[in-house]
Amino acid sequence: MASNANQNHNADDPVLQWVTFRLDGETYGINVMQVQEVLRYTEIAPVPGAPAYVLGIINLRGNVVTVIDTRHRFALPTGEVTDNTRIVIIEADNHVIGILVDSVAEVVYLRQSEIEMAPNVGNEESAKFIQGVCHKNDELLILIELNKLLSDHEWAELEDI
Amino acid sequence: MSDSKTDDVLQDYLSDLLGVGSESESSTRSAASPAIAAPQSEAVKPMPLAEKDVMAIKREQLQKLLQSARVQVEQVADVDLNEPAAVPVQAPVVPVSQVTSKESPSVGETLEAIEDAVALNVLDEQLEWLDNGRPRWAQNTFEVLLFKVSGLTLAVPLISLGQIQPLTDELTPLFGQADWFMGLQPTASGKVRTVNTAKFVMPERYDPAFEQTAKYVISINGVPWGLAVDNVEQPITLSPEDVKWRGTRTQRPWLAGTVKAHMCALLDIPMVGKLLTDSDKNARLA
Repeated sequence: MASNANQNHNADDPVLQWVTFRLDGETYGINVMQVQEVLRYTEIAPVPGAPAYVLGIINLRGNVVTVIDTRHRFALPTGEVTDNTRIVIIEADNHVIGILVDSVAEVVYLRQSEIEMAPNVGNEESAKFIQGVCHKNDELLILIELNKLLSDHEWAELEDI
Repeated sequence: MSDSKTDDVLQDYLSDLLGVGSESESSTRSAASPAIAAPQSEAVKPMPLAEKDVMAIKREQLQKLLQSARVQVEQVADVDLNEPAAVPVQAPVVPVSQVTSKESPSVGETLEAIEDAVALNVLDEQLEWLDNGRPRWAQNTFEVLLFKVSGLTLAVPLISLGQIQPLTDELTPLFGQADWFMGLQPTASGKVRTVNTAKFVMPERYDPAFEQTAKYVISINGVPWGLAVDNVEQPITLSPEDVKWRGTRTQRPWLAGTVKAHMCALLDIPMVGKLLTDSDKNARLA
């Protein structure tokens, strides 16, 4: 059912839903099917010895969830926590993690054909996180490939936290 | 001042601005001597008729585009009138010889597809340098557009230019890219991948103020890339003899030569387009 809701029957040009969030003044999108829930900011317990991209852990109804520092991951400057700050709980590569964002905006519908390939110039590893770009509602959405957010090695690192 | 002394002064000026001799090159450039070679053989091969036609068409298109950019810039200037820090916009002044009527969408789309195909073809052809030490696009007199980047005057041949669009707040940076990539500028004709020209051309002397002073992006015909510039000046006509062509282009292959009369560097814009396209890993995968 959820799959049907997410995908139009037009097989040639499916319509996908994206949850958009703001980070350092730009708007990003993640596939709604990978979003489990959106939480208000809650205290994140730091973990000694954790990798730099890990902010810490939170207790989500009895489950421990690791929260990723999205700004660090995207090589963006650090930001402050505000009333709009959210932790988006996502499922990526069969793992559940949280990503810290400046705010969550809306859900948008995008046709596959509307998504354009983004350039990848330079040598930064983080460029691979960008799945594509799309112009919607007079702004440019940067669509994130969550399954590439962490490498196999990094997922293994998170398991050890 | 003798001719050779004048050449030396110009060489020093441009070498200084372009940071010739520095080791810190971007990944798109290789390392070799930046020396600018004296012009070689002056023999000029007759240009094929079809190529002349293409050049004439491109010139006409660019005249229209320059005019359209002026209109857009004037609109931007109007919007900024209430802002105290607004800088007066220096619009390119280009005579308009003809006014085109609006075409029906189907005809327009067809023409656009033809123009794109022609543009790609032209870009490939224009990459070639002939035995006389000049690029194919400079076998006869050619028109160039002068523009300013962080105080440096650059010239680009009109043959490979696309549109001139104002840079706006809609310029969207992307993380994880090379430092010379400014972002994506949405325009009516698509998203222009905007290059920080100052950082690309003279990284050793880069002034971060350029990001505030850059007003336009000049797109390169046939590729989705464009160069951010401070302002655009008049197009001028050059003869091949006006340019001191570079003999060795292993380092800074995008630099075609220097124009003494205008104290500027002449960009090999088809090569710039190729270098930018080649630098995109996603384009290589596609």
